[in-house]
Amino acid sequence: MATATQSSWHVIARVCASIFGSYAFTWGFIALGASSLIIGGTAFHEASSLTSMLGFLVYLWAFCWAFIAASLARVWVVLAGGGVVMTLAGWWLSRSIA
Amino acid sequence: MFANFRLSFAWLHTWFGLVLGFVLMAAFFFGSLSVFDREIDRWALPETRIEPQPMPSFDTILASRFAEIAAPEPEELAAASKRSTQPLPEKLKPALFGAYTTHRDPVLDVFVGFEVPNSTLPNDLAYGSVVIDPRDGRKLPKDRLALGSAFFYPMHYSLHFTWYDIGMWIVGLAAMAMLAAVVSGVVMHRKIFREFFTFRPGKKLLRGTLDLHNLTGVVALPFHFLWALSGLIIFAGVYFPVFDKMLQPLVEQHEREEARHTGLDAEPSGVPGTLASVDAMMIAAKDHWVSRGVPGEVGYLQVTHVGSSNAYVSIYRDSTDRVATAEGLHFQGSTGRVIFEDPPTGAAETVNGFLTGMHLQQFRHWTLRWLIFVGGLLSCVCITTGFIFFVEKRKHVHARQGTSGSRWVDALAVTTVTGMMVATLATLVMNRALPEDLANRDLWEKSTFWIAWLTALTHALWRSAAVLQARMSKAWAEQSWAIAALGAVAVVLNAATTGDHLGRTLMAGYWPVAGVDLMLIASACAAAIAARKLRARAAEVVPVNPEVPDYA
Repeated sequence: MATATQSSWHVIARVCASIFGSYAFTWGFIALGASSLIIGGTAFHEASSLTSMLGFLVYLWAFCWAFIAASLARVWVVLAGGGVVMTLAGWWLSRSIA
Repeated sequence: MFANFRLSFAWLHTWFGLVLGFVLMAAFFFGSLSVFDREIDRWALPETRIEPQPMPSFDTILASRFAEIAAPEPEELAAASKRSTQPLPEKLKPALFGAYTTHRDPVLDVFVGFEVPNSTLPNDLAYGSVVIDPRDGRKLPKDRLALGSAFFYPMHYSLHFTWYDIGMWIVGLAAMAMLAAVVSGVVMHRKIFREFFTFRPGKKLLRGTLDLHNLTGVVALPFHFLWALSGLIIFAGVYFPVFDKMLQPLVEQHEREEARHTGLDAEPSGVPGTLASVDAMMIAAKDHWVSRGVPGEVGYLQVTHVGSSNAYVSIYRDSTDRVATAEGLHFQGSTGRVIFEDPPTGAAETVNGFLTGMHLQQFRHWTLRWLIFVGGLLSCVCITTGFIFFVEKRKHVHARQGTSGSRWVDALAVTTVTGMMVATLATLVMNRALPEDLANRDLWEKSTFWIAWLTALTHALWRSAAVLQARMSKAWAEQSWAIAALGAVAVVLNAATTGDHLGRTLMAGYWPVAGVDLMLIASACAAAIAARKLRARAAEVVPVNPEVPDYA
C-alpha cells in the first residue's frame, strides 16, 4: 500500500472532485447528450435511455480519472467546468425548440 | 494522486471499498434475500400460504376495493403536502387505479393514485394501497409486515432511510464505489486469470483471505459489475432527474406527440365519464395474446384518468416468459375499444429494459434465480474478505503503534457481516413469537430488527478491544453462535405456531416455506461450524513479532 504523499487537503479535494465534480460532469453529459439527440430526431425514450445508461459509465470514468490525473486543477476544470458548460448548452438547446 | 496509476487505484480501492463497503454489505445481503422476497413473505404471513393467483375480476372484486381506498398513506400525504404550493384539500380526487401481481404472488397489491393539486411536479400523484386476497377480495390487515417484499427489499436500495431519499443516495454512491472497486481491483491485480484458480486456505489467514477476496471478485466479476450498474440504472430518474428538473420543454413536447400518436390523453378531460366492463377488456387482451402466439395472464392493470370521460385502461401481460419489456394493450374506458398497442421498443430502450428486468427478475426461471442469489452471496464474501484483509494486514502495526483504526473497522465488519444476520434472524423469530392479533405488529417486528442490530454493534464494539492487542475479536464467534441459535429457533417456532413443519411442507411440495426453513437450517449449521473454527483461532497465541507482508 502506498504511503500518502499528499496533504489531507489534497486528498479531500480529490475525493470531492471524484464525487461532486463527476456528478456535475455526468449531469451535463445527460442534458447535452439527450437534448442534442432529441433535437437531431432520435425518439425521446431512445435518447433518454441511452444517455441515462451511458451516464453511469461516464460517471465511473470521471470518478476514477479524478484520482489518476496528474493535475488536481485540471480535474476540477474538466469535471466541474465541463459539467457547467454542457448543462448550460443542454438547457439552451431544450429551450430552443419552443 | 500518487506516484503512479496503480498506487492511486489501490488507494481508491482500499478507502472507498472500506467506507462504502459497509453499505454495500447491506445492499448485497438484503438484495440476495430479495431474490426470494415473495417466499420470505409466505413464511412471515402464514395466512397467505396459498398458491399464486391470477388477476381477479375487476367488476366484482377490484372496483369496490379501489373505491374503499379513500386517501393516500399518511407518509405519502405528508410528502405530497410538501410538494404542493398550497395547503391540500381535505379530500383528494382519485386519478389512477393500479393492481399488480406476479407468478409468485398469492396476494395482490391494489393501489390508488390521488391527484396532488398545485404540485411543483407535473401529473403528481400520492398513493394509497391495500393488499388483498384475490380469491375473495378480503383485505389483509395493514399492520402485517411482508418481511421480504416490504422490509428486506426496500432495505437493499434505501436502508429505510427515507428522509429526502438520503438512503437511496448513499446506496447509489456505494454502487458507484462498487463499480470503481471492480475497475481498480482489476488494475491492481494484473494476474487476473491466475486468480480464478488460486485459493490457499491452509496458508496464513492474510494470504487465504486475499486469495478468497480475489477469487470471489474475479469469478463473479460480471455479476458485481452488472448488478451494481443495473441497480443504478433502475433509479436513473432519481439519481439524475435531468428530464424532470431541467428538460421539461422536451418532455412536454414528447408527451404531446405521444398523446397524438397513441390516442392516450396526457391530461384528464375534466368531463365526468363511466367505465365499461374491465373484465371484458381483460378477456379481450388474453384473446389477443393467444392470437399473437404468446398466451399469458394479466400482470398489471391500470386505469388512468379515473372518473373522466377520456379514462383509459392499460392491461399488461405478465413477464413470466421474458426478461423485460412491458407489453401493454390500452382500451378506451368508456367503450372497451382498443385504442393502442405498445409497439416493440427501440434498441436503447430494450437494453435498458433488459438490464432492469435482469435485476428485478420477474421471469419464471428457478435456475437463474438461484444463480443470482449465489452471485449476491459471492459479492458479500468478496466485501467481507476485503474487511478482514484490511484488519489483518494492519492490526499488528496498529497494536505496536497503539492506534485503534483496525479495532473500529473490525467492530463495524462484525456488525455488518454477522450482526446483520443476527438482526435478520431475530426479526424472523419475533415474527413467529409475537401474538397474531397484536396491534401494530409490523412496528414490533421492525423495532426488533433495529434493536437487534444495535445490540450486535454494541457487542462488536465491546469485544473488539482484543484487536488493540492484535488478537481476534470474540464477537465473530459469539455472533455466529447467535446466528446458529436464532436460525434453529425460527424453524421450531414456525412449526409450532403454524403447524407447517418441514415434514408437511416437503411432502406437500410447498417450496416457499420449505425453502426458507431449509435455508435457515443450512445457515444455522454453517454458523455453528464457523463459530467452532473461530473459537479455535481466537485461542491461538499471537506471534510476538509477526511478519507483515505487503500483498496489495
